[in-house]
Amino acid sequence: MTGASGQCYDWRMSFLLEAQALTKHYGAVVALDGVDFQVGKGVTGLLGPNGAGKSTAIKLFLGLIEPTSGSAQVLGERPYESIEVRARLGYMPEHDCLPMSLTASEFLTHMAQVSGLPPAHARTRAADTLRHVGLDEERYRSIGEYSTGMKQRVKLAQALVHDPVLVLLDEPTAGLDPLGREEMLALIRRTGSEFGISIMLSSHLMGDVESTCDRIVVLEGGRVVEDDTVSHLTQETETLYVEVDDRRDELLALMQRNGLDASLEGMSIVIDGVDDEGYDTVRDAVVESGARLRRMAPQRHRLTEIFRR
Amino acid sequence: MAVQPRGEVYDIGYRHYEGPREGRDRARFALWTNGVRTALGLGRGTRAKILPILLFASTMVPAAVFVLMASLAEDFGVSEVVDVPGHADYYDIVSILVLVFSAIIAPELLCADRRSQVLQLYLVRPLTPTDYVAGRWLAFFTIVLALVYSGQIVMFVGFTFAAQEPLDYIRENWLDVPRFLAAGAAVAVFVTTIPLAVSGFTARRAYAAGFVIGLFIISTSAANALTTCTEREMRIENGVTVVDRCEAVTGRWAKWIGLADFGSVPSYVSDRIFGEVPDSSDAVQQVNQLNEAIPIAWYILLTAGPAAILLRRYQKAAL
Repeated sequence: MTGASGQCYDWRMSFLLEAQALTKHYGAVVALDGVDFQVGKGVTGLLGPNGAGKSTAIKLFLGLIEPTSGSAQVLGERPYESIEVRARLGYMPEHDCLPMSLTASEFLTHMAQVSGLPPAHARTRAADTLRHVGLDEERYRSIGEYSTGMKQRVKLAQALVHDPVLVLLDEPTAGLDPLGREEMLALIRRTGSEFGISIMLSSHLMGDVESTCDRIVVLEGGRVVEDDTVSHLTQETETLYVEVDDRRDELLALMQRNGLDASLEGMSIVIDGVDDEGYDTVRDAVVESGARLRRMAPQRHRLTEIFRR
Repeated sequence: MAVQPRGEVYDIGYRHYEGPREGRDRARFALWTNGVRTALGLGRGTRAKILPILLFASTMVPAAVFVLMASLAEDFGVSEVVDVPGHADYYDIVSILVLVFSAIIAPELLCADRRSQVLQLYLVRPLTPTDYVAGRWLAFFTIVLALVYSGQIVMFVGFTFAAQEPLDYIRENWLDVPRFLAAGAAVAVFVTTIPLAVSGFTARRAYAAGFVIGLFIISTSAANALTTCTEREMRIENGVTVVDRCEAVTGRWAKWIGLADFGSVPSYVSDRIFGEVPDSSDAVQQVNQLNEAIPIAWYILLTAGPAAILLRRYQKAAL
């Protein structure tokens, strides 16, 4: 692929998406405020509460809007200046976007052609993609007859039908029941690992991101508040839970006196940031207080807690 | 015992696409072909084909009737004294019929994509909002153009064979061919642009169709009511009624009020291409008193204006 500069851009070696001082204002409202981050190969989660700037970032990377300042680059190009790059992108919106009167096969064939594939190739790709998302038998039925889960699969399939380098998924599990959600997340994992298509997944559901992504970028109030691998973030936030049958208050006071970051959460004492030395301190405090120990277990923080900081 | 042939099924897994990618041009063409198929109801049930069939009939029936009239006039030897409707009259009638059917059919090209929100899927592909609107507009324009040209071709061929000397007819009337091609394009631009421009403001086809048909009925009725002659002097010359004087109820403003006869606007262009003066109604006769350039400018304003509004509307829709 040739970049805007005319030089050959090899996305296998570089970032797929890159935000540089990316800023977007809607009048007086600042949706994104000088954001810098990069997205490479693999599955990346764009996490944040409503109004954090996730949708604005996606629209900028899709070239639907232009930044107020800074740049949003996709595969080395600015999509709002060079729309041909969009032929290598896939997008699955959060909202309904399917024509109910068409069959999945017809719809996907058309969408493949609109992405630049010739008709014969488009038909083959449509059939293959529907098979990969588990809609082989049903592809000649009208989309209007599909269940919510099946419609969500068609939405994913239309994003994949032209074999993009990168797909942007906006809240892909929205409206699904627990089983449908698990199936969709499994499909997303397969898309990333088995199909080799990189993904940027926008979600406000930490569980979705934690179970599918290699890396997360957390947005809040239009700024990046975290940008790291999921494993690193969860490792860093190790917590120890201690449950005792009696003398809980004495044990808590002793732990705090000995320098541990201990607090009470329900029936448990929660100690944050425990290292190897901290385990010895906890053990000594339990012995000294004489409390009867019921359970002591390290627990990884969930990503939900990033927002509590 | 014969050995049964054994087959095995292999799951070859996901395979990346390595075929040609034809980019924006393929995307535009796909949008156009999809628009033509949608408007004609191809690949859909029988119900989706009823309106396109009626649209086809609205262009073919007048042509067939005109040919029949010409043929009968020749057979009875009265073709010199009876004013048989010709190519210009065809557009006067058909532009109104096609406008009504277009008002019902054309909105589906835009409203359906807005209603189902497929529009955003188009706009994240190698297409601009202008490509999208142009693709849909060209799809319906192509259909209307093909239909009105078909009607004119039927008429030209019919008139030729109805004539006593077909070769003489062609020699004397061949200029009608470029005229009906140019005038047909003018009619098709109008009847394509107005319904599509209205469709840009609603996701419901029925609302768009209702608005266009309502606008046509109300504007035509109001314009003709306000330009009705209270005093009229007329004479018949060569079988044609010629109005020498008409005092309209709205006096000297009548010629401007006549422009509000929305359904007659394509006739201002098509009749002038054929070198005729449109005279289908009181409103049109009043408009004839204006400078010849004014009705043409009115046609341009009524097509370019809504087209610009539609394009602007879709630039914003992308956001």
